[in-house]
Amino acid sequence: PEVTINKVELAPLQSTAVEHPVPKQSSSWTEKLKKEMYIRQMKVEKKLANTCHKPRVEEMKQDVKAQKAQRVHEDRSSQRKIMQQTIQSNLECLLYLRQPEEAEKLLLLYHSNPMKRKLLNVDAYNVVMRGWARKVWSFWGPSAAVILVGLGPLVPGFLIGKARGVLRPNLDSYAVLLECMTQSQSSTKAIWRCVQHLKKDGFHVDELFQKCLFEGDEKEKVLKAIRIIQPDYQLPSPPKPEICKAALLKNFYSEKEMVSYPKLDFTVQELRERFQQQLEMELNSTITIESVESTKPLTPQAIKARQQLVSFRSQWRDAILQALQKSKHNMSQVKTMSGHSVLYPYLCLLPDEEYVDIMMQTLNSLSPQGESLAVLARELGSKVYNRYLTQRKLHSGQLKKVQEIYEKYIHLLAKDTQPSEYLPREYWEKLVAEAGYGPSLNLKDCSWPYVLLMRLGMYLLEILVHAVKVPRNTLNPRLPPKLIPVLYHIYSFRSSWQVGLIKPHPIFSQIVSDAAEAVLTFNSSAIPMLCPPVPWTSPHFGAFVLSDTKLMRYVDGAIQHQQLLDQCPQVNLHPVLDALNQLGNCAWKINQPVLDIIISIFNDKGNEKLDIPPPVSEAPKPSVSPSSSSALHKSQKHELLLCKKKAAEMHSLRMDALYKLSIANYVRDKVFWFPHNMDFRGRTYPCPPYFNHLGNDVTRAILLFAEGRPLGPKGLDWLKIHLINLTGLKKKNALQERLDYANEIMEEILDSADHPLTGRKWWMNTDEPWQVLACCMEIAKASRSPNPAAFISHFPVHQDGSCNGLQHYAALGRDLIGAISVNLMPCSVPQDVYSAVAQQVEEFRKKDAEEGLRIAQVLEGFIGRKVVKQTVMTVVYGVTRYGGRLQMEKRLKEIEFPEEYLWEASHYLVKQVFNGIKEMFSATRDIQNWLTESAKLIAQSGRTVEWVTPLGLPIVQPYYRIKPTVLTCSMKPDTVKQKNAFPPNFIHSLDSTHMMLTALHCFRQGLTFVSVHDCYWTHALTVDIMNKICRQQFVALHSQKILEDLSKFMLKNYCSPDRESRALWQKKLMEQLSNVPKTGRSTEWELQSSEEVWK
Amino acid sequence: MGIAAVPWRADVPVKIFGIFPQRKERNTLWRLLFILYECSSIYRYGRVELNIFISEKEYKVLTAKPGELRIYQALSVLWQVGCDIQLLHMEPWSSFLTNLKNGRLAIPKSTRLPNDHLCLVRLTPQQNLFTGGLNPANSATFIFMVKQCLTKPRSKLTDRLNSWSLDNADKLLKALEIPEYIETGNVYPEDYKRLFCALQNSSVFTESWFHDEVLESIRNINL
Repeated sequence: PEVTINKVELAPLQSTAVEHPVPKQSSSWTEKLKKEMYIRQMKVEKKLANTCHKPRVEEMKQDVKAQKAQRVHEDRSSQRKIMQQTIQSNLECLLYLRQPEEAEKLLLLYHSNPMKRKLLNVDAYNVVMRGWARKVWSFWGPSAAVILVGLGPLVPGFLIGKARGVLRPNLDSYAVLLECMTQSQSSTKAIWRCVQHLKKDGFHVDELFQKCLFEGDEKEKVLKAIRIIQPDYQLPSPPKPEICKAALLKNFYSEKEMVSYPKLDFTVQELRERFQQQLEMELNSTITIESVESTKPLTPQAIKARQQLVSFRSQWRDAILQALQKSKHNMSQVKTMSGHSVLYPYLCLLPDEEYVDIMMQTLNSLSPQGESLAVLARELGSKVYNRYLTQRKLHSGQLKKVQEIYEKYIHLLAKDTQPSEYLPREYWEKLVAEAGYGPSLNLKDCSWPYVLLMRLGMYLLEILVHAVKVPRNTLNPRLPPKLIPVLYHIYSFRSSWQVGLIKPHPIFSQIVSDAAEAVLTFNSSAIPMLCPPVPWTSPHFGAFVLSDTKLMRYVDGAIQHQQLLDQCPQVNLHPVLDALNQLGNCAWKINQPVLDIIISIFNDKGNEKLDIPPPVSEAPKPSVSPSSSSALHKSQKHELLLCKKKAAEMHSLRMDALYKLSIANYVRDKVFWFPHNMDFRGRTYPCPPYFNHLGNDVTRAILLFAEGRPLGPKGLDWLKIHLINLTGLKKKNALQERLDYANEIMEEILDSADHPLTGRKWWMNTDEPWQVLACCMEIAKASRSPNPAAFISHFPVHQDGSCNGLQHYAALGRDLIGAISVNLMPCSVPQDVYSAVAQQVEEFRKKDAEEGLRIAQVLEGFIGRKVVKQTVMTVVYGVTRYGGRLQMEKRLKEIEFPEEYLWEASHYLVKQVFNGIKEMFSATRDIQNWLTESAKLIAQSGRTVEWVTPLGLPIVQPYYRIKPTVLTCSMKPDTVKQKNAFPPNFIHSLDSTHMMLTALHCFRQGLTFVSVHDCYWTHALTVDIMNKICRQQFVALHSQKILEDLSKFMLKNYCSPDRESRALWQKKLMEQLSNVPKTGRSTEWELQSSEEVWK
Repeated sequence: MGIAAVPWRADVPVKIFGIFPQRKERNTLWRLLFILYECSSIYRYGRVELNIFISEKEYKVLTAKPGELRIYQALSVLWQVGCDIQLLHMEPWSSFLTNLKNGRLAIPKSTRLPNDHLCLVRLTPQQNLFTGGLNPANSATFIFMVKQCLTKPRSKLTDRLNSWSLDNADKLLKALEIPEYIETGNVYPEDYKRLFCALQNSSVFTESWFHDEVLESIRNINL
């Protein structure tokens, strides 16, 4: 029998406990307890002795030790990486400030300490050398930076060999060295020697120009050096573009008769102008737009408050500037490299006024409820970082290069140019290669570690809290005019732990709310792009022109994703990059009539039923005045609290809607684009955070494709079916029936379209009222046009996955019955999996009721689609019995099930739903269990779960147990999270793969395509084609041996054959990973004939 | 409970003997504090005396002295102001049956403080607790004030007071004979009470943001 590790550890612990001296006072009952304990313990020990042989215990102990050692090692290495990153960014920062002496001092400081020296890597030395290379005067003299191993002999008079044997120069080192040599006009011989060394280290001269990232005129300098010794040296021709070999896309990339890339309805000149607008906006880093509330008339009170704010703001600006300058001055006096003064260089990167701008922005956008200190600090820190990055891009000439390439790139998209069959990424890469920029269009990696962002942010926040003051008598002239702080820092206690909060003083909040200012300020990256996004060509380049955008979103401080992306061969990322570019290249415009109706309701009193949040002035008022809290009764306090809570919620909802509508209003006459990136599972998202097509019903209803297409013969029908889908009616009916229903209620549809607010308001009582309204209007226009088939429609028609998680499981497991119920298999009526499960559960119930089970009898007539839906939907995402029961309880309450049976009934139902699913999707649970168990063992071995999608995207689950401190990151995988999240994450990654495949193939067919996860959008004309592609790609995806491939990958990754794998846990892991669950009979698997994947 | 409530200043109406579950010991201590200062629950009946077993580490916190960094906490101040704390007996953990279901020991780990014993402690509410301006109605503000001060025991008391928009913090401290540059972790429990009572007379608690926050903090406790 197996013995758990716990017990093994327990034995020695207890035996020491016995040796404790017995205190003299101990009374008799404690003695008795002690005796009992002793007996128990003897039993445990005996049991141990009987059940396991000694060597085995030993072996297991060693295992535990080995695992621990590995974990500690990983802990340290992540800490180390953060330290290295900090050093690197410090040096880069000094380099940017053109202070090579300071950078060198810092480097030497680390170098002189044997412990700290280990933190230095080649790049750190390279940065310092680069600093000297930029100085006009001779580099030979003072530079102690070239203590780099191997380079010593090249550079006379240096601290040679200090780090010999520890570090080896890399390609960048040689590039910098050659640059230095040009700068200092070194002898031919010295350059020759340097090149010899380069070759000895296994590099090639050509590689310098192919791989190094040059800024400014660095490349020219290096080339000059090379041409001194080799006058006829020619730059290497750019490497041939690699072609992705993913099995799923072999044809996609190698097709000979390629389709030309679809053109936009813009000329080169128009696109160029739009690019200029976008660039200007990003250069300003923020943009101030008119709020949709600005149409309201101004009250005298508002005018006064606005005047006050204006004068306060100019005072605050001065105060902050003064405080910043004073603090900086104090810092510059301190000559140590510890504590705050490490921040000093970071406070010199931008003009002082820009820091003040950033702080004022934070102050202006602070909500009356305050914000957590950590969130604000990070926000401030990253704002500084982003502006610094913009400056760097400007100064290093990178922006100029991007601008130049983009101007040419436009030719791929503009309507007045030759068609071309390149993909955006391919075209961009071609242009870069032609311009001879190589990889140097990318900025050298210079990201700041999270810790640094936080510290910088905290520092700025402190200045803000101390400097910004307001006279106390601003609202109440009776008080003395003493200045009091506008922001205060307090702690909020949430159960056992406390959160630092920054809150604005009520006086400030009051003035701001009185002023009802008519403008809003956003980061430029919050606004949709005004020109087509820069195509993604690498994990570091794409999306906005200047704003730094990550290809993969992740939580702060996590570096694993970026590392994985950098390590994997770039050609493997091409499909993902191309899919993202495809999604980002969809042009949008605003549905103006709908937007106007929404704004009119928003500016009136809102409407909660229609999801237009009412203003806070509509919030419930407490029945008592909150003047003296101490005199209130408990119930009154309670009421007061509830009112405050409601008001706070309303405020945040209102602001969210205000942001969305104001941005929409700002772009109402423009065409715009949403650049996309993805989360760590490959799910794609538009980058602008507030207003995008992933939003709620309201935001979706105001978006239209900028490109219009005729409806074609079936387009109007699709619009009608789409309308019925949006209403949430007729879920169980076939498409034809839905269409018939739409025709039946045509009068209602037209009434809604013509008199949305004054008519019969049919649209208001549907699932997605605003989208329904928009669709009604489109149908009305189309059906009234002389020839509906020729009617040009911009309207996106959605096609939802019927239950995508289950579809993937059914396909993975080749489950026949399951496949039919999620519409993977041919069937005349669209199948509804929820109804099917409900039916199954009902059968179980009947049987149980006949056998006399009380609860089954009580439940008669209560089981339906609605009751089981949520649980079925979430089963794929790993809902447990516990969570499932809670869901059931909620649903039963909604249908007024007798309260006294609630617990028992929900318990019974969740059991039956699980059974029902097991019956229908026999392999699903097996696959889920296999995934879960594998993840558990992997996490227990101290590693995180990683896999690669069929498209080649590497994925790692970022769940760690992080010790609860803000500024350090000690990380161990969180076993529970790793294990529970693996199945859903894996399915999500398949889902995103399917979406990307569909996106790419839709483009080949010339379709407009965007997605909201498993909901796909296209023009009414092309719905049929999209559905076909979608099915084809689903089949293609699941014709891959997905589970086998996963197993192979994980075996390779976690059970390397070269490592001694005798350890028990490793054997167990290996066994688990190779034991792929059996799947159904694949011969009956004929997806192709299925017509109804989507409903 | 079958006993009659007596006025606060009267003698102890009832004595209770008990032990807390170790896992929620800290929470229970906080909960008791709130009902003590509110005179609700068991303290409706007057100054109920508790004789309870608590872990040694919590006992050390309850009785910590000013200046004992990291041990002297809001909990220490509030309990010392609220109760007379008397140690009756210390019994080593080994005298107790402390096995959990999974076979591990149920004694909470403690790094900073010794935790080898369970302590039998007598907590008798102070007769003069509600004097000088402190009363059950405003005690939530007192608790809130102490908590705010002691989240960062190394911060200056004047900084705290200033951030509450107090007009003349230094004058007030002088009047109370509290050193001007004292750190919050060095202020005596009784001084916190005197400070509170003095502030009661100024407008700090009613006219600043303070009372909103107190309300908020009550919500976090009671809801």
